Amino acid sequence: MSVVPRSLAGRWARWVAFVGQRETGECLALFRIISGLALLISIGVPAINGLVDGFWVDLAYGGMRPLKPGWLVAALGGATPATAWILVLSTLTAGVGLVLGVGGRVVALIAGQGLMALSGLNTHTRGSFDALLINSLWLLVLAEPTVTLSLPCRYKTGKWTSHQLVAAWPRYLIIAQIGVLYFFTGLHKVSIYWTPAGGFSALYYILQQPSWQFTSMHWLARVYPLTQLATVLAWLFELTWPLMWLALYYRRHPERSGRLRGFFNRFRVRSIYAVVGLSMHVGIAMVMDVGPFTLVTLAFYPSLLRPSEVRLAARGVGAWLTRRRSGSSTN
Amino acid sequence: MLTHIVAIVILAIPDTAGPAAKRSAWKNPTVQNELASYTRTFNEMGIAITQEELEQRVWSAAATWTAWMVVLRTPLRPYTDYAGVRQRWRMFVAPHRHPAKLHIDIKIDGQWRPVYVARSPDYNWRGHQLDHTRTRSMLFRYAWKAYRGSYRHFAKWIAAKATHDFPEASEVRVRWYGFRTPSPEEVNEDRIPKGKFRSTLVFTREALR
Repeated sequence: MSVVPRSLAGRWARWVAFVGQRETGECLALFRIISGLALLISIGVPAINGLVDGFWVDLAYGGMRPLKPGWLVAALGGATPATAWILVLSTLTAGVGLVLGVGGRVVALIAGQGLMALSGLNTHTRGSFDALLINSLWLLVLAEPTVTLSLPCRYKTGKWTSHQLVAAWPRYLIIAQIGVLYFFTGLHKVSIYWTPAGGFSALYYILQQPSWQFTSMHWLARVYPLTQLATVLAWLFELTWPLMWLALYYRRHPERSGRLRGFFNRFRVRSIYAVVGLSMHVGIAMVMDVGPFTLVTLAFYPSLLRPSEVRLAARGVGAWLTRRRSGSSTN
Repeated sequence: MLTHIVAIVILAIPDTAGPAAKRSAWKNPTVQNELASYTRTFNEMGIAITQEELEQRVWSAAATWTAWMVVLRTPLRPYTDYAGVRQRWRMFVAPHRHPAKLHIDIKIDGQWRPVYVARSPDYNWRGHQLDHTRTRSMLFRYAWKAYRGSYRHFAKWIAAKATHDFPEASEVRVRWYGFRTPSPEEVNEDRIPKGKFRSTLVFTREALR
């Protein structure tokens, strides 16, 4: 007689089946490509602007301030210009590898460790985009992100896309990560300005801070109620994001019964959250300098779709482009 | 998979570790303004508490909570440090009502001339470096008193760049223009609050050699 209770054995079997699910790799490939582009911007732009020797080199060698090297920088000989450039160039090379899908998990590991070493070296110059991108790169280490939309795929199959199956659980981790980001950033917003007692004025005042501005934002005073509405929407969006997990779960099995499941699927809760999130990030990128944060975050969004939906969307875009092209050649 | 999810959730729970753990940071006008607003709200709700009492209670609760979180996260340290799964998502936590703008001036023939004023289209010397997202992140910190030492290092570094780019300059001045951000009413009535310069550092060409 088994010593494991039947219900526990059943749950374990369901968990094993869940973790063992496989799907095609479009979502992971898009996550890899967009994250790779974000990495190139994150490290490449400071390099082009001549900031490497200021940011990531110790004061003793001409940098801005004394730096505390982590294990990798120490192993490479300390925060010298040579170390900084080795890290910058290897991270950028790994970024190119990610975009092209060359090198698999090893490239993601090099990219993640490089970015972690640089952002940890001078913590004053790092932003939340670094932390999120390092997380993304670790998820790419765990995943198989290069089976489609990659140079190796093109080389092996003669086509850019492949229907080879990969483990689905890394995509579930991507969905978990974006949810943790939104929900906990919402929990952090304890300022009175995010609440009714503060008049929902948080976004108006945040946009008056020079550190985020492209230019003066005094004009927002004329549309102050809109900023209040945006404050409420952003706060609610973040705090209620766990509903998106529920929406995704309900969409997996639409055939099952239940009023809540029916409500979520009928009112397209997943689409509503995705559209609000995309609009919010694009809006932020238009009025605030948040560096590569928008791109790093948007890399997560394709994973909210199933790979079959990504393929369908790609076919739709392809057909639209073909119609446009044939339309313009007729004109 | 499950271990990773548990880890990132535990790591993401809010606490006050980092700069917020310094009591001196709580004396910043922005933080004091928050405490004053909360005190007012509590009083209006019929809860009698002074701003000092509220600050002390929040400080004690935050310190205890953060100490517990440190213990809870200790087993996760290797995974956090080597895989890079940090989860501190303190984004747009609160508006900084008393920010500051960086000003850099050079002295030529005894006259100060501005060369860089943050967010100014007219004075944008080395704007590609000083306006970069990573530099903004740094400068946001350096306007706080807790970062005085780092601000001095930065000021000296940028002053050396200025003497290189402007060989005719005899001195370089780096300072903050601190101000209170205006309310919508103040903007609409053209009553923008005046700020003042602080943390002024002046470097002579000789001192930078």
